[in-house]
Amino acid sequence: MTRLAGKSALVTGGRQGIGRAIVEAFLAEGAAVMTCGRGDRPDGLDGAVHWMTADVSDGRDMDALKQSAGEAFGALDILVNNAGVQIEKTVADSSDADWDAVMGVNAKGVFLTCRAFIPVMASGGSIINIGSISGMAADPGMALYNASKAFVHGLTRSIAVDHGPGVRCNAICPGWIMTGMADAAFAQSRDPAAAKEDALKRHPAGRFGTPEDVARLALWLASEDSAFATGQCYTLDGGLTAASPIRACSDG
Amino acid sequence: MAMLSGKTAFVTGGAGGIGAAICARFAKEGAEVIAADVAEPAALPEGVTWRRYDVTSEAAVRQTFDELGGLWDKLDILVNAAGIEIEKTIEDTTLEEWNRVFAINVTGMFLTAKHALPLLRKSPGASVINFGSYDGFIADPGLTAYCASKGAVHALTRAMACDHGPEGIRVNAICPGYVDTPMLQSFFRDSGDIESLQQAVRDVHPLRSYGTPDDIANLVNWLASDEARYASGQLWVIDGGLSAQVQQMRL
Repeated sequence: MTRLAGKSALVTGGRQGIGRAIVEAFLAEGAAVMTCGRGDRPDGLDGAVHWMTADVSDGRDMDALKQSAGEAFGALDILVNNAGVQIEKTVADSSDADWDAVMGVNAKGVFLTCRAFIPVMASGGSIINIGSISGMAADPGMALYNASKAFVHGLTRSIAVDHGPGVRCNAICPGWIMTGMADAAFAQSRDPAAAKEDALKRHPAGRFGTPEDVARLALWLASEDSAFATGQCYTLDGGLTAASPIRACSDG
Repeated sequence: MAMLSGKTAFVTGGAGGIGAAICARFAKEGAEVIAADVAEPAALPEGVTWRRYDVTSEAAVRQTFDELGGLWDKLDILVNAAGIEIEKTIEDTTLEEWNRVFAINVTGMFLTAKHALPLLRKSPGASVINFGSYDGFIADPGLTAYCASKGAVHALTRAMACDHGPEGIRVNAICPGYVDTPMLQSFFRDSGDIESLQQAVRDVHPLRSYGTPDDIANLVNWLASDEARYASGQLWVIDGGLSAQVQQMRL
């Protein structure tokens, strides 16, 4: 399958989880892919993928990333802002360093990459930001994370409005996707196993999401099939937020 | 690459602007397709059969799905695209007109989905796609009954997703903005100077165009396919960026 043949893509935070699944999906569809993260090149990353060690919250790193992507690809067709961190604290417990860590990556990082790459994106380019259902309704004890994702949703709309029709910009708002971040969130509850079981019952789809589920929507948003879609925050959560929290949907 | 091979699809309003584009795309992706409509289409794409279908008649709906049960051993994709609009405020809308809009846009969706359920349950992963609208969130002037009916569709979509997700049936709504269809042309015609209005409508979109039926079919196709297997209970707005923007007084 080659739905992205001839296209170039940059995916931030491609070391693991959702970012890694997007990198692999884009590669499988024929795109030339670059990804970045704060550590060294991860084991097992396909040799065809360009890796760069970079921190999205660091302006100099993003200038260097822009330089590398320009040399590798010329104009960029697809930018996926996936890099994100979470800290499980309320406002009262959050330190200045927590603010810098969460807002630096989740908010400033998206701003920095968009500012760097929008001027060099190909006409018809697509920006895909990873927002969250937590940007629309609050997860308890995740204040800065929730707020950072609401920022991503707002910036998504602004970019669509200011930089269309040349560039499209949409966000994906995943629900509970089984990654290390989800496990860390469940670990906050008194009984993580019971919390997980309860959460599962609230999903009409009967399961949690996978990084591949998110990658398949990212693929659609990167492809020509989404040519009329821009400025939207598309929720992908197995039906979780469509249902009231009062009663579990599923008996299973 | 066929995304829907081996699947069966039933599309209400399948002869209309967006419905016809959906049927054509489904057939191209390898699905066996029935275009269900009160009107017979002038031409049918290969792989699509037409069936006369009136969403407002429960007897006709029941009979259709009884017969379909003999023809197909499962239904994988149900698209509820049948819809009408009446361009009036509440003051000018008669009760008959109001009831007719709801009978087609909402009750027809309820009846079709209700009687399709037994066949949908036999699919290993069924997808129901309802037609909501941008107008279910934000009102266009003089389109009251339509706006209200689409708001009902959005709530119906979430409720169906909640109830039937555990049975392996996904339910989503597509909420198009301005799409170039006979319905939009009629809306323009009733609003005076067509050309300058069309240009003004294009200019107010971040993508500087309104959509085509194919743009909408592209999203319906994705939601119908197994690629969307985790998508359910959502309202998928596709509007060229229109609703992302605070409206400016440009018209």
